Amino acid sequence: MISRRISRARQIVLSTLSVLLLVLGYTWISHRQHQVNPEDTTIPNWSQLAEGAVKFTQPDRKGQRWLVEDSLATAKRLAAGISLGIVFGFMIGMSMGCITSLEAFLQPPISLLAKVPQTAALAVYFVFFGTGMEMYVAMISFGIIPTLAVTVYLAIKDIPSEMLDKAYTLGASHFEIAFEVVFKQVLPKFIDAVRLCIGPAIVFLIAAEMVVGDVGFGYRIRLQFKLTNMNVVYPYLVFLACFGFLLDYMLRFLQAKICPWYQNNSK
Amino acid sequence: MKEDGHQDFSLQCQKVSHWFGETKVLFDLNLKVKSGQFVSLIGPSGCGKSTLLRAILGTHIPNEGQILTMQNGELISADRPGRDRGIVYQKYSLYPFLTALDNVALGLKLDQTSALFRLFNWSGWAKKRKNFRDRAAVFLEKVGLGHAMHMYPSQMSGGMQQRVAIAQALIMEPEIILLDEPFGALDEATREELQEMLLLLYQENQDAISKSQKPPYTLIIVTHELNEAIRVGDRLVGLSQYWNWEEAGHDSPPGATVVYDKPSPIFKPNERPDYESFENIRREIRSYVYNPDILQSRNEYLMTKLV
Repeated sequence: MISRRISRARQIVLSTLSVLLLVLGYTWISHRQHQVNPEDTTIPNWSQLAEGAVKFTQPDRKGQRWLVEDSLATAKRLAAGISLGIVFGFMIGMSMGCITSLEAFLQPPISLLAKVPQTAALAVYFVFFGTGMEMYVAMISFGIIPTLAVTVYLAIKDIPSEMLDKAYTLGASHFEIAFEVVFKQVLPKFIDAVRLCIGPAIVFLIAAEMVVGDVGFGYRIRLQFKLTNMNVVYPYLVFLACFGFLLDYMLRFLQAKICPWYQNNSK
Repeated sequence: MKEDGHQDFSLQCQKVSHWFGETKVLFDLNLKVKSGQFVSLIGPSGCGKSTLLRAILGTHIPNEGQILTMQNGELISADRPGRDRGIVYQKYSLYPFLTALDNVALGLKLDQTSALFRLFNWSGWAKKRKNFRDRAAVFLEKVGLGHAMHMYPSQMSGGMQQRVAIAQALIMEPEIILLDEPFGALDEATREELQEMLLLLYQENQDAISKSQKPPYTLIIVTHELNEAIRVGDRLVGLSQYWNWEEAGHDSPPGATVVYDKPSPIFKPNERPDYESFENIRREIRSYVYNPDILQSRNEYLMTKLV
């Protein structure tokens, strides 16, 4: 039967089973590969992975711990890019939703910009912003601004006019309607949109780091891949996944904290 | 109160006509509502009841004519929605992101404090907010929802939501409250409970009048339930596009206008009306307001004495 409820115990057993299968499957594939070629590094076995872990957690010849350096660099770029994207995406979406002439003015560039693949436009960002921090921030924020702005704008258009008219009968000014009604109504949908934007933002950043980075996850993955040190590449992918998952979880937590009514609605 | 003075009226519609392109909706509509009246606005679907209500609300300005509402003791053109008119919709009547208590307190917050005050005078705002919430709690008790103050609209039943919506309008003490088919989506039993709640308000009006004070509530309720219209209202106003417009010199239907305007029997809140006894009124309304084949002269059933 479709979406039939299952017991909590069964749910836990099934989830554990899927993780276990993944680990076992990997071990088996790696084992088969090493029977063909004992020196293989493309599908490292567990002891090779442990060597990799030493490589990126212990200081290298320059005394740097890769994992620390890379995490810091990537996180800084991502945080700056996403923050700027959030601020501008929200402001642009709000003004498009609330002011009709701005809507007409901003709609063409926003919908056009939304269709440009950021990874294809890498060269443009290098030309305009060089290869430093500015470039990463610009490409991440430009990459997510159109989606975020359009989400906010559409969410505002979704608000029934009755809600706004009623606010006037309750003595609201234009500004109060924007903040007390529109903003609060749109906020949880905006957080949802930010959650969905984290994936693309990481893609843009890693792509840029692979091309011009000298530190960071993208840079390390490309370099270690060239040396076929897959025992570094795979763990790095897992870290990226965990990082994305953690961000997503934090945003969901934030949403439940500041918009408890929205949770109630979706139940 | 002065006899027939300006102050007695909460609303005056003067020669209001409205059309959407070729579609004629309202024609030469005149309506005066005295303070303290509960007007039931009835009419066939598509006759422009909602258009009239929106015009009074000020969100849709009529093409011709004037709508005046009492604002700060003066009759002023209602060209935009304002705090002198309250509205209760059938749908979207509450803000989903606020609890029942905050939904009711919202009007006080928006009306009596500014955004700057709330942003910069934290302690002042905290004090005021407490005061607003206390007042909102009183109104929620009044509509019988003392137990549900901290529920969000999504956790409430349709009937509870409409009660909160009415409290939300009442707390502003508007000159006139507009209800647009407020109980249309509710079941029969809930409907009757809410009608009784409105009748309690009507009783407060009568108590005020007996003490020669200004009656606190004035209401226009749009409904398609004739029994509800008769029970809740003290005045029945029928709007209809079916009237003898040929006699009035028109080549094509010019739109709906008031064709029926009579006092309605008055009920006490706890009094179960005998709906059978409404039959005569219902029959009269059906033939003169709802029946497309009976086109009477439009002045025939107007209550001329009252206004």
